[in-house]
Amino acid sequence: MSRLLVVDDEANIRLLYAEELKDEGYEVVTAASSAEAAEKLHEGVFDLAVLDIKLKNESGIDLLQKLVKERHDMPVILCSAFSCYKDDFSAWLADGYVVKSGDLTELKQEIARVLAKKALKVKAGA
Amino acid sequence: MDQECCWNRDVIEQADCPKIGVGEEDLLVLKRQRNLEKCSDCPRLLSDLKQLRDENNPLAPILGDLLAEYHRQKNQIQSLVSFLDNKTLEMRFFHELGSVLQSSVDLDEVLSVALTAITAGKGFGMNRAFLLLTDREVGMLSGYLGIGPRNIEEASYVWNEIEQNDMDLQTLAQNFRLNKLSSERAKFHDLLEQLTVPLSNKDHILIKALDGKLPIMVESAFQHPDVPPELARLLGVDTFLLMPLISRNRRIGMIIADNCITHRPITEEDMHSLETFGFPVAFAIERASLYDKLQVELNRVTEAGKKLKEQQELIVRMENMALVGRITSSIAHSVRNPLMIIGGFARSMLKNSAESDPKRSFIESIVEETHQLEGVLDEILNYSDSLYPTRDFWDVNQLVVAALGESAVTLTPLGYAISYIPGHDLPPVYIDFKQLSYCLRTVLQNDVIGVSNDLSIEINSQSGENCVILRIEDHSRQISQTELDWLLVPFSETRDLGAGLGLALCKSMLEKQGIPFVAEANVQNGIRYTITLPTRKEDSHE
Repeated sequence: MSRLLVVDDEANIRLLYAEELKDEGYEVVTAASSAEAAEKLHEGVFDLAVLDIKLKNESGIDLLQKLVKERHDMPVILCSAFSCYKDDFSAWLADGYVVKSGDLTELKQEIARVLAKKALKVKAGA
Repeated sequence: MDQECCWNRDVIEQADCPKIGVGEEDLLVLKRQRNLEKCSDCPRLLSDLKQLRDENNPLAPILGDLLAEYHRQKNQIQSLVSFLDNKTLEMRFFHELGSVLQSSVDLDEVLSVALTAITAGKGFGMNRAFLLLTDREVGMLSGYLGIGPRNIEEASYVWNEIEQNDMDLQTLAQNFRLNKLSSERAKFHDLLEQLTVPLSNKDHILIKALDGKLPIMVESAFQHPDVPPELARLLGVDTFLLMPLISRNRRIGMIIADNCITHRPITEEDMHSLETFGFPVAFAIERASLYDKLQVELNRVTEAGKKLKEQQELIVRMENMALVGRITSSIAHSVRNPLMIIGGFARSMLKNSAESDPKRSFIESIVEETHQLEGVLDEILNYSDSLYPTRDFWDVNQLVVAALGESAVTLTPLGYAISYIPGHDLPPVYIDFKQLSYCLRTVLQNDVIGVSNDLSIEINSQSGENCVILRIEDHSRQISQTELDWLLVPFSETRDLGAGLGLALCKSMLEKQGIPFVAEANVQNGIRYTITLPTRKEDSHE
């Protein structure tokens, strides 16, 4: 079972993601801030992280850069209310980009795609 | 003594005096005036005087002396009158010339007047004149304008025409400017081209005259040690006058004048008159040149002022747009999260509710409405993005291929066949890539009702005049032109027709960049979109 870290400052969104992604068979851990995310990452290993770009007073992009540097083997999917960041160079570091929607199909598909790609990479490395 | 002359008669007949002509009949009864005007040089009076001398009349010698002195003084007075008349004419000419030169700030008018004055019979009466102007920026004295006939036939024709029309100097100059300026320029073009001397060539006679600020009369030009042979050959005359034009001690140019047709000698008086004439001409040329420069600068300043005003308005507009954009973005973001939560949980509930649940339809409605609202939200956010186009030169093929790649994810599973025929050697287009990419995706994926069985979309690009024309023919969407036009109106009620703001937003985005967007609907063949992309920066709306 893949372990996912969901970082979003909205409690209801964390709850929604957790419920929906658990239904998809993932183990979901949530965090409301960069600091909390760092704590969770310290505590365990994750197969993938889903990050919101706007985290109250923090930037999800900063967290993305940190994760790419420190956890380069863990893919990250950015999830944002804005589609404009998709064309932002800084967002290109992420493995996937999804615009937030009540219909989580796209997010689920993106998670599946990124995890499959990671699995292939691992297989190829092995 | 028998008198031969009628000098002592009060009234005479016409036949009595051979000196009184037609129109002078009043002298027949005006004895004193007749004596003074006519008798003094009448042969009959001289004959009477001779008779007196022959008779040894003592008054005869003194009368003879007085008469001789009277004749001398009369001739002197006539000569003075004639001189004064000439001077009056000359003064009138200079006055006329001065008033025209002083009142004009048009360089061509000044030059026309100056050269006409030199060559007109009523002016200095020279046969031909050339004007050379100094260009300090390039350091050259260059031929600018010439006037005069090239040969005797042309001279006869022109002088005859002038004589018949009896025009004053100003009319002559105006006539020259309107009818002959261009042709004279063309006529002497080659000669004027060769009359170009660097100001640094201090040994050249033209530059010597210019630097010396005094006219030079060149005689025996072909043998003259200071005259370059090519100059003498070029002018084709032995004698010519070089008159420098000096204004406020600045070297304005040079007039070369000659009598190439009549070969009338150029006198010292001609030279002095032309020298006097040179000062106002030089001043007028300088003033007209300065006025021209001033006009250019004024136009520049006016243009700069206009641009500044436009920029100010643009800044204000951008500030307003930026504010609108920030507000829109902020609202949209604030709405997106709750909407997502409502829609997400509604879907979750729907997924877990039984088909028979009576409340299932309520949840379905929530899901549907939130989906619709999310669509509207996307478009509002895209609209706020559209307020700031960022243009650059891009490859059209790259644009189309990128949009096709992103649309394929949606369209291919639906069974769409999309083909693209790129044009050959397409120039880069000046566009906002992101916005154009969005427009293409919207056009391709637009959720228009009336899908036909023909799920094909054909795209082609071709080079046009300063543009690349992109055509998208979507055979899958069948809609009337009226309905399509309705879809192109921003924020119109389009829910029944399609995806809301999409096409209207595309049109608005493209129009903001000055890119024509034409959408033509045909119920049988689908929709054809034509987008004309500019290849030049100046053709786009900045």
